[in-house]
Amino acid sequence: MTPLARRGAAALGAFAVAVVLAVFLAPRASDAAAVVVVAVVATAAGFVGSLPRVRAERPALARAMLTVVLVDVVVFATAFLSVPTDFNLATGAGMAIVLLGLSFLTGASGQISIGNGAFMGVGAFATAIWANHHATTPIVVTLLISVAVGALFGLLLGLPATRLRGPYLAGMTLAFAVAFPAILSSFSSWTGGDSGLQLPNSATAPHWLVSLFHAGTPTLTTDTLWLTDVIMVATGVAFFFMANLFASRTGRAMRLVRDNDVAAELVGVALPRTRVIAFVISAAYAALGGALWTLLNNSVSPATYGFALSITILAVIVIGGIGTISGALIGGVVYAYSTNVIAWFVAQTGLNPQGNLASQLNGIIFGALLIVTMMFSPLGIAGTVRHLRQRRALARE
Amino acid sequence: MDSFLTSRIVSDILGGLTNGAIYGLVALSLVLVWRATRVLNFAQGAMPMFATYLGMGLLSYHWPYWVCVGVSLVAAFAIGALTERVLVRPLYGKPEINPIVVMVGYLIILEAFAAAIWSTTPRSLPAPFSPIDWQLGGQPVGLSPFSLFEIVTALVVMGAIVTLFRFTRLGLQLRASALAPEVSRLLGVRVGRMLTLGWMLSTAVGAVTAILVASNFFTGLTPQLMDGIFAFGFIAAAVGGLDSPVGAVTSGIVLGVILQFVGDYLNSNAIILVALVILIVSLMVRPSGLLTRSATRRV
Repeated sequence: MTPLARRGAAALGAFAVAVVLAVFLAPRASDAAAVVVVAVVATAAGFVGSLPRVRAERPALARAMLTVVLVDVVVFATAFLSVPTDFNLATGAGMAIVLLGLSFLTGASGQISIGNGAFMGVGAFATAIWANHHATTPIVVTLLISVAVGALFGLLLGLPATRLRGPYLAGMTLAFAVAFPAILSSFSSWTGGDSGLQLPNSATAPHWLVSLFHAGTPTLTTDTLWLTDVIMVATGVAFFFMANLFASRTGRAMRLVRDNDVAAELVGVALPRTRVIAFVISAAYAALGGALWTLLNNSVSPATYGFALSITILAVIVIGGIGTISGALIGGVVYAYSTNVIAWFVAQTGLNPQGNLASQLNGIIFGALLIVTMMFSPLGIAGTVRHLRQRRALARE
Repeated sequence: MDSFLTSRIVSDILGGLTNGAIYGLVALSLVLVWRATRVLNFAQGAMPMFATYLGMGLLSYHWPYWVCVGVSLVAAFAIGALTERVLVRPLYGKPEINPIVVMVGYLIILEAFAAAIWSTTPRSLPAPFSPIDWQLGGQPVGLSPFSLFEIVTALVVMGAIVTLFRFTRLGLQLRASALAPEVSRLLGVRVGRMLTLGWMLSTAVGAVTAILVASNFFTGLTPQLMDGIFAFGFIAAAVGGLDSPVGAVTSGIVLGVILQFVGDYLNSNAIILVALVILIVSLMVRPSGLLTRSATRRV
């Protein structure tokens, strides 16, 4: 059997199993239909994406297919998870987008931002402000507007970045993060001051999605599921776009700037433009993450987007693996579940959950992990895994 | 009747000088570390905060005020030395984001530990001198004995640092280790020790600043005490030039005065905004600082 035929047979087999399961186990015809749709999409995309010719000659198509499979499976899984789990995953997915932007900035230009929590706030408030003035705008348009506003802020702050070296950019973004709450309260007639903003109408699940559920299902369940799935699709699109950018000519130029900016300039890379583009993209990604958080929470509060968030973002991406794409996904999961894990740890050790130590455990653990990661494995979890796999591959040869 | 001395302008200038002295001290401590080891120390606010808790905490055991100040300074020296030896030394020669990330991690951990040990409730420190403004013909002049003490302390610390660097053998060794470590080592300077000393001095300058800031009746001592002050200190250091102690101090004082006027004539939210705009504009005009000679970059 050729590899192609084997792969085709495996795909067909998986597809057949899924369909049989759906037809026999699903209580209603609409459920069975949904499972069949999911299975068809996953098998077809997985098959096309894994074809050797596609992978060699059309890498972007292969990446698109991989994204479709992942999003398809995740969206399917969210239908069976509890409302808090879905909410957690969606929060983590929004964070993963922010992390991806920061990972790109560092991976592409060797610079770092300590102010991405503030850019996230820009996107979050842009969404809420726009929705309050134009309630009828479709979600996608509101999201795009928020991303554009985030990019504009990134451009304003990024202009000096064309000439900055070393830690100046980090310090400047830190100042932005510290200043952001003051910026919000300066424009309190727009941003709602300390209490923040509510969205005028919450995002509700469309009828076809509701019809898949039993008649008595609470709207909270279907609405959360709908929002989670919208966020998952947005995350998939964001990751797909970034994977292509990493592999493109621009991405190569940026990595050269990171490794040796003098050499990059000599081979004709425009340094200032490259640096600004990297910074603007990272700000736009942060804004998208914040906009999705506003949709998910149906409201936005200035307290969320303080200095602490910016520091947390930096900590989580470094632990996941700064400069890598998978590191952003790992970081998103770490962010989504860190609170649960720490609460479990506190319960296990019998610490007083209201005590000083338990309330600061988050900071102590994140701070320690940040230092240990940078000292011993600067590419984080993603880098360590990659390193171990390479070692094993070498050992096998 | 208003005399000139009690006018709004004089009062703003005096208040601005007091704040500016604080910004200048933070900027100076940043410059000390930057010149010695090429690390922008994001924990420059948190390390002295910790030392201040250790030292001034003894006040609740009825230790005399000035002894507590002395203990804080000793704690700051120890924290500075330990940090350089344990955390910073392994980072020399690594990509420039590594020390940034490690120092941010250090900042998180120090603030978390301080809050875990001493809680986040502000602690009031007694001011050694009265914080109530002097009066002239029934009007406050905008300067209190305590704010005069702040300005004088800042000037004394700055003077001491400049004297140390310019006129002593130790200062010469400190400067040489920062500028040309290889040559200095060949000539018998203990470069490693000098770098440690740079961090110790910087943390001690920070501790003086932290005590002054925490003695303010309205803030008190909290784990996040220095976050905002650090931002202003960094802006001052970046505008003046991270390589120039005199530039950093000067721009700190000027920044303090400008921002006092901004806060008085516009509103308090505008202060950090104007500071940010000043930072962005000055970095666009002269990335290496307004008050430094521009240096060519070695490749």
